[in-house]
Amino acid sequence: MTRLVLEGLRKTFAGQAAVHRLDLSTTEGEFISLLGPSGCGKTTTLRCVAGFEFPDEGQVLLDDRDETRVPPEKRDIGMVFQNYALFPHLTVAQNLAFGLEMRKVARDDIRRRVESVLGTVQLSAMLDRFPRQLSGGQQQRVALARALVIEPRLLLLDEPLANLDAILRDEMRVFIRDLQKRVGITTLYVTHDQAEAMVMSDRIAVMLGGKLAQLGPPESIYLRPASVAVARFIGRTNLVPATVVASESAGGTAGAISGGSPGGSSTPAAEAGCRVTVDSAIGRLEGRAARPLPAGSAVQVTLRPEAISFAASGLTDVVAQPSGSSLLRGRIERTYFHGASVEHLVRTTGDTVLIVQTAHGHRRAEGSDVAVRLPADAVWVVEDA
Amino acid sequence: MTDTSLPAPPPPSAHSPASPAAPVPQRPPTGGRGFWLIAPALVLIGVFLVLPYLNIVVMSLRVPTVGAPYGEGFTLGNYTRVLSDPYFLGVLADTLSLGVTTTLICLLLGYPVAWHLARTTSRWQGVLYVLVLSPLLVGVVVRSFGWLILLSGNGVVNRTLIDLGLIETGIALMNNRLGVTIALVHVFLPFMILPLVGVIQSIDPVIETAGQSLGASRFTVFRRLILPLSWPGIQAGTILVFVLSLSAYVTPVMLGGAQMKTMSVLVVQSLIDNFQWPTGAALALVLTGCGIVAVVLYARLSQRWTRSVQP
Repeated sequence: MTRLVLEGLRKTFAGQAAVHRLDLSTTEGEFISLLGPSGCGKTTTLRCVAGFEFPDEGQVLLDDRDETRVPPEKRDIGMVFQNYALFPHLTVAQNLAFGLEMRKVARDDIRRRVESVLGTVQLSAMLDRFPRQLSGGQQQRVALARALVIEPRLLLLDEPLANLDAILRDEMRVFIRDLQKRVGITTLYVTHDQAEAMVMSDRIAVMLGGKLAQLGPPESIYLRPASVAVARFIGRTNLVPATVVASESAGGTAGAISGGSPGGSSTPAAEAGCRVTVDSAIGRLEGRAARPLPAGSAVQVTLRPEAISFAASGLTDVVAQPSGSSLLRGRIERTYFHGASVEHLVRTTGDTVLIVQTAHGHRRAEGSDVAVRLPADAVWVVEDA
Repeated sequence: MTDTSLPAPPPPSAHSPASPAAPVPQRPPTGGRGFWLIAPALVLIGVFLVLPYLNIVVMSLRVPTVGAPYGEGFTLGNYTRVLSDPYFLGVLADTLSLGVTTTLICLLLGYPVAWHLARTTSRWQGVLYVLVLSPLLVGVVVRSFGWLILLSGNGVVNRTLIDLGLIETGIALMNNRLGVTIALVHVFLPFMILPLVGVIQSIDPVIETAGQSLGASRFTVFRRLILPLSWPGIQAGTILVFVLSLSAYVTPVMLGGAQMKTMSVLVVQSLIDNFQWPTGAALALVLTGCGIVAVVLYARLSQRWTRSVQP
């Protein structure tokens, strides 16, 4: 198992920085997703790790050895591509044997290893088929097997599920994740699909504009985004402009709270964050932020649509609310049926429109007056970018 | 008669590597209407290719005589004479080996060009295509005159070399095999490059990346992956150039001199200079037969070779 460390990685194409001072380190056997919109530098980062690009600055360390300038064929890294890149003139067995032949593995061993890996990806019967005789999902599994059969130090996957249909994609997510855990190989996974990244990753590295915007486990990326940009990119969210009234550290001392640098991994203390009170377009709110914020600074309040809900009846039960949660009066403008849930657009205080997502059973009719409940732990405050 | 006017045997359908067990795509039946669309072409080929060819076959079996194109009756004597005459056989061998060398040189020169054309993202790509096709934009006589000016004993190339003090007296660049080969390679390069470009474009560049990530050097990637995948283009290009070289006439006449006679030159000599139509017809058919046999053998053998490229 291998530890991958990227230090100050920087790559420029025609004067444009594709990757800008990227620091990232994995633990052994970790599954990290590079998540971002197209053009955010995630694929360039992957190609630097694989050796197909040499960074202008910075280092790629594998188990503390500097491999920044090692050519790709000497890196011992398995790679899976979006369009599989199987060799069309070779059978499945020959595709898998290719990497082993390059390593001068004995013929008998090649046979044994190819068969064993094909068993792992449940394609033992396909040994003598040609790639074009396989379905997309099968080709994907062959590509995965071809990358794993060489027992690489690192597995890189570049949007491997993008060409599959939705049902197959869900299956393959689980399949790849299970396989990765079983093999225990350190994995870097490039995707623009946040659901994919959430389900599969130990940690997610959100990349925006060539920079690492946030690195952390899926829960912290989703529930505690480090910036407005991350909050906007990950999932649907309500963003309400606000001003800090007061801020204090909660739990531990201020020293236990990480500097709040966007790239820093979140320690439990930092996750606890600190309590903040803000004045927003929808009134005064109690919430949390990654670190103490100076009073008077401009911030945005993020409210996940599924974290807020409708109060059972009118505003009469306001006193019965658990401490810290707020109630807002509003009117339903539109509802959208999503199958598993219903999305309501609620026009509320200060002419702000909030998205409220509920289970189908809690659907409210368009035009009806409602009270929106904002639990304190649903209110997350980020600095305005 | 131009270099490209003699009919070429149809190249065997492009063989895609690793085709065994490939399911044959079912085409919807076209019905009878499709026939009328190909009828004009059929008539054209029938009237202007098949009938004249049959005429040549008949002519090759007639009895040669003096004072008239041919005499009474039929004979196989023309063939036995042609095939037993060391002079004719020598010319035939020369013609075939000229075809092979021209084809090989075209392949070696053309592949890198085709690769570049297929993979370039330059905005000059269109210009590059025109440059590749440029030999075909000039008539064969004019083009051959151009080479005459360049290659003759007192030509541009020799003059330059002498002026630079690199050689004492002019070297023989034409009126021999060298001159013909140079001129044929020049004009037939596009026929090699264009099929190659098409095939190389269809090879996913990620294949190379994948090969390298599995530990193959750039050379191994080329030998084990790119070359076998280029095979349909190589096959099409080599067959085209070989067949065209065999049937070339103007270029060998103008640049080959007395030293480098090819079969087509000989055929025209028999027909027009010596007025021996049966002999000329037999010569022409022997050349056609050799060309077809060579192409079929090549397609067969290379099919085996493609498979042997795969471990």
